[in-house]
Amino acid sequence: MSEIEIGQCWLDLADVLAGGVKRVLLYGPPGTGKTYAGLRLAVSGTAERLVCTEDLTSGEITGTWMPTGTGRWEWREGPAIRAWHQNDVGGRLVIDEVDRASGDALSTLLAVTDSQDSARWRNPETSAWVRPGPEFSVVMTTNVEQLEYLPRALRDRFPVAIRIDRPHPSALMSLSEDLRLPALASSLAEESRRFSLRQFYAFDVLRSSMGTERAAGLVFGADAKSGVLDALTIGALR
Amino acid sequence: MTVYPELASARTDDFPLGPWRIREGSSLRGGASCNFSDRLLIVPFGNSEVDRIVRAHELAHIRISPHVFVASDSLGVHPRALECAEEYRVNQLLLHLGFDISLLCDGSERTGGARLAEGSQWDEALCFLFAVLGTGAEKPYLAGIRSQQRAWVAPLLAVVKRVRSVMGTTAPETFGSTITTPAGLPDGYLSYTVPMAKVISTAMQAKLPQSSEELRRFRRSLEPGSRKPPTGAFAPLVLAERSESYVLQRRKVHRRTTSSVTGPVLRYPSRLLTQSEPKAFARKQRSIGGVIVIDQSGSMDISTDQLDRLLEAAPDSLILGYSHRPGDMGATPNAWVLANAAGVVATPPAGNVGNGVDGPALEWAIRLRRPGERLIWVSDGQVTDANDHPCNTLTLSCASLVRQHNIFLVRGLDQVESAFRGKQFPLENFGRVGRALAQRG
Repeated sequence: MSEIEIGQCWLDLADVLAGGVKRVLLYGPPGTGKTYAGLRLAVSGTAERLVCTEDLTSGEITGTWMPTGTGRWEWREGPAIRAWHQNDVGGRLVIDEVDRASGDALSTLLAVTDSQDSARWRNPETSAWVRPGPEFSVVMTTNVEQLEYLPRALRDRFPVAIRIDRPHPSALMSLSEDLRLPALASSLAEESRRFSLRQFYAFDVLRSSMGTERAAGLVFGADAKSGVLDALTIGALR
Repeated sequence: MTVYPELASARTDDFPLGPWRIREGSSLRGGASCNFSDRLLIVPFGNSEVDRIVRAHELAHIRISPHVFVASDSLGVHPRALECAEEYRVNQLLLHLGFDISLLCDGSERTGGARLAEGSQWDEALCFLFAVLGTGAEKPYLAGIRSQQRAWVAPLLAVVKRVRSVMGTTAPETFGSTITTPAGLPDGYLSYTVPMAKVISTAMQAKLPQSSEELRRFRRSLEPGSRKPPTGAFAPLVLAERSESYVLQRRKVHRRTTSSVTGPVLRYPSRLLTQSEPKAFARKQRSIGGVIVIDQSGSMDISTDQLDRLLEAAPDSLILGYSHRPGDMGATPNAWVLANAAGVVATPPAGNVGNGVDGPALEWAIRLRRPGERLIWVSDGQVTDANDHPCNTLTLSCASLVRQHNIFLVRGLDQVESAFRGKQFPLENFGRVGRALAQRG
């Protein structure tokens, strides 16, 4: 296992996107780079991103009126609509943490992620009907492991769901060499013993400035510190 | 306290990354383990430094030990020696990585050492020494042994010195390497654990030195390329199983009846009409046979023709050939049936140089001999131990079997028929066994 294997999940995702599927749901443990992949894989322009919370409103998805400061208001498009007509053909929309979206936001998400033929939205400024461009694609991510917890209608809009169980090799390459395989292996551990890629990034950065012991304590926690360091020391043998 | 086996499992071989299950064990000896096939790690969960080093020890196994079953006999080593040599390699790895292995001690070692010595379990005492070597348990363990068997300490330390020289000053990256070798084992394991286990296996089999001269010979025998030391014991008998190179084929049917002018069964009635003195009756023919044990050591190989001639002369025979490869741990068969009622071997196997199993081969033949059957031992009268050293004790035990079970001794296959007819050959022809028999009258 000296080489970092790309992992079947990433091969599946690459094939699905290359095959022209425009709606993909990525799920699985946090910190494996699902959003990273959504923002970068098979994207021609700049991908738009939406992070769902309970307070997310429809306006934050499709757009909202904003004051200009001269007593007037102007319409600002939200990320979903920007992605619909990016470069006139449509771009990528990444919807994170979709399981946390409120009911209102969910209704709007259902509308904007519908198929190209069915989706449409009226611009309140111009009253013109807008449709997604032919290249519009959506990558939706969630940490939920049981997909039946997602609303059925939303789930139906995403015919392909891929469980991402490990970090993407290109994400791992940002780490120092000695941490790449442990970070990959850690993503496969059971949840209570799993550390995210972000924790490994933080540890990698901090250890050079404040020393390994302190960095491990801060990033992995005082209880886990010695266990992690012992395992890393033994695992680092080449 | 949690342990993170996944973080330590980045190996170079084909062991796939994946999740491990963890169960609570203890820091007492035998209370922690790692199971590659089930991906199960059993370790203490406590916060003490001893618990921590025990966890590290198991993580080191995950990092460098073979994840597949290792057939010790094919490596020519004793399985327990292999196990304990691996413990030593793992502990040495921890030491190089800065872990304090002096903490690896649960307080039972002195008593354990004393018990092994008291029970004269030299082989286990030797193996276990390597499981604790370099750790905090080494001194109390040796003290326990010394308290019961002071004479064991010098040979034990001689083996330690030799094993340590195998590791030498090698870097942990080398002796902990998990690059897969053509044998399918990690390089570090094959290059260090196995050679160490070979030294330990050799010493396990050795007869304990009783004098300073014997100790010197014992030390020399541990050096690379040296002749293995006397063991003072036979190797276990390993009978060849049928294989491509060892096939028993159907043998010529031996006629058990002959025609006669008188008899109880009229087998050939037509002869009454065609012959003036008709041999029309069938009579059972007494055929020669028994058990023949053939020492095939040295140059005493058997050809197919010799075997055929032997079966012609003694058709009802069960014939066993034997020869042990000196130092072999059971991987190479050291005995083979050359002929029995079912068949005869297609090509008689060649010997393995040494004797090594004279006693077990005779005992096997004694068990299979039918009442009244003769047992013939084709031998030069030399009896050797598992490492092919002549041994007086083993010679006497074979001589005792010869006398007790009325075994006929012959030097060559051409004398077998005479022996079946009752001929005894002079004892002076049979080396040490002959002399032992002659001395006892």
